Amino acid sequence: MTKPLLNVTNLTSGYGDIQVLWGIDFDIAEGEAVCLVGSNGAGKSTLLRTLSGLLPARTGEIQFRGESIANDTPKHILSAGIVHVPEGRRLFGPMSVIDNLLTGAYLRSDKAAIRQDLEQMMELFPILAERRHQAAGTLSGGEQQMCAIARGIMSRPKLLMIDELSLGLAPKVVDSLGEALRRIQQQGLSMLLVEQDVVTAFELTTRGIVLDSGRVKIIGPTSELSENPMVQQAYMGLM
Amino acid sequence: MIFFQYLVNGLILGGLYACIATGFSLVWGVLSIINILHGSFIVLGAYIGIFSYTMLGIHPFVSVITAGIVLGALGYVVQLGIINRVVAQSVLVTLILTFGLELMMNNAMLVAFTADYRKVILEKSLGVLEIGNVFIAMDRAVATVIAFVLIFLLWLLMRLTSIGRAIVAVRFDREAASLMGIDVKKTYAITFALGGAMAGAAGSLMSVSFPISPLSGPLFLSKAFVICILGGVGSVPGAALGGLIFGMLESFGAVFFGAEYALTLAFIVLIILLLVRPHGLLGVKGF
Ligand SMILES: Nc1ncnc2c1ncn2[C@@H]1O[C@H](COP(=O)(O)OP(=O)(O)OP(=O)(O)O)[C@@H](O)[C@H]1O
Ligand SMILES: [Mg+2]
Repeated sequence: MTKPLLNVTNLTSGYGDIQVLWGIDFDIAEGEAVCLVGSNGAGKSTLLRTLSGLLPARTGEIQFRGESIANDTPKHILSAGIVHVPEGRRLFGPMSVIDNLLTGAYLRSDKAAIRQDLEQMMELFPILAERRHQAAGTLSGGEQQMCAIARGIMSRPKLLMIDELSLGLAPKVVDSLGEALRRIQQQGLSMLLVEQDVVTAFELTTRGIVLDSGRVKIIGPTSELSENPMVQQAYMGLM
Repeated sequence: MIFFQYLVNGLILGGLYACIATGFSLVWGVLSIINILHGSFIVLGAYIGIFSYTMLGIHPFVSVITAGIVLGALGYVVQLGIINRVVAQSVLVTLILTFGLELMMNNAMLVAFTADYRKVILEKSLGVLEIGNVFIAMDRAVATVIAFVLIFLLWLLMRLTSIGRAIVAVRFDREAASLMGIDVKKTYAITFALGGAMAGAAGSLMSVSFPISPLSGPLFLSKAFVICILGGVGSVPGAALGGLIFGMLESFGAVFFGAEYALTLAFIVLIILLLVRPHGLLGVKGF
């Protein structure tokens, strides 16, 4: 077996007196797309925040490409190759689309390549090209999500983590986002996708992690998870 | 016509006022700090202008560079070492902190420089230009031009550089900015340094026009405060516009109501503006 890109063991985390994550174990292989599902408050965002360094890991280990990144700064983790597209997009509203994308490339200094990547993002999301000088805060929800994802990719990550991809978006928009994500993935980018809509999540990824009250409940190929009666009942609204 | 004379006076004052307000406005907008220390930074910049001239013969317009660098460095250290410890707390906490620092600075300057008013008396003045019936004191006019150039440079920095983008990013979403790899505390310090540099530069420019004592700080501060709100907190072009308006108010206000009412008049205009446009003339923009 090849060495995993990301390896998380016995991770715990939380806020102040509140512990949210209780001993999380999972890994992500190079080029793999994994989804993270679970009900509201299960700790999905908390897990992403801990991985990206916004929250300290209390115990446990996070290895990325063989190196420990637990409790590193967000800056360090980003330059190691993990980018976090946060819940709610969190664009810089008064800044233009272009400036938002350039901010995503803040740690890079290869100007020519940054220009090239900008053009590539405009190709991936043509609507952003039309809106390049518009203030990001005035974009529609779908456009904002595209801008947020593009901003994340501008850092040239190895692992793209997206929190709540489809929240509040029309099915058609979600489809085109999914299409774009598939294209990015084909270029070798690994993905960790947090998604409320389990059907969408299972379509876009090959392996899934079901989180329940801060613990990993099931982990396995999405093809199996979608057949699992417990998953169907609890998260897919079936039966 | 006398009207044009007042207009020119207002313009010349306005440029200097714009320069004292931009740094203050930037710091307020980005860090949510009402920096009471800003007045002292201006005064200190003026002393750099004055002593560089009297002791070394360096023209205050050249000392703009030294004053900018020295006050910028001081601002950086003060933010990184002291203010960053409380920066996430309420406006009141940071206000009290900068107020305390201002008191200390004021007293230190009183001890070091005495309370005497000083001003640069240029040996080789550029003189007065007369166009029709309008008189233009050229030293002041050049100071104003330099002030606008500095403001323009700051605007370019905010608009075109990655530091500028980082400052705006931190202003609008600290956490998202740190997800972009931006070091928030360092960016705060850089912002504060830019504010200090603008204050120092403005001080050196003003040393040619206004007599200055260690106690001039609060007066400059109150003007910067009004201008900043007039133009829109955090906005560089807003501060420039606000400065010009303030200069005009002072120039024309002095004619109609007497010089002592200039600040009162400005505050009245400010109150009216706040009723009509609570976010200032240019509103909330990136910078
Ligand atoms: N800043 C915070 N301070 C204290 N507790 C928090 C904070 N943020 C989240 N929590 C708690 O942590 C738990 C997990 O929250 P988290 O946001 O990780 O859930 P989630 O799985 O992302 O939920 P959702 O699907 O609603 O986004 C919740 O019980 C929440 O109340
Ligand atoms: Mg969440």
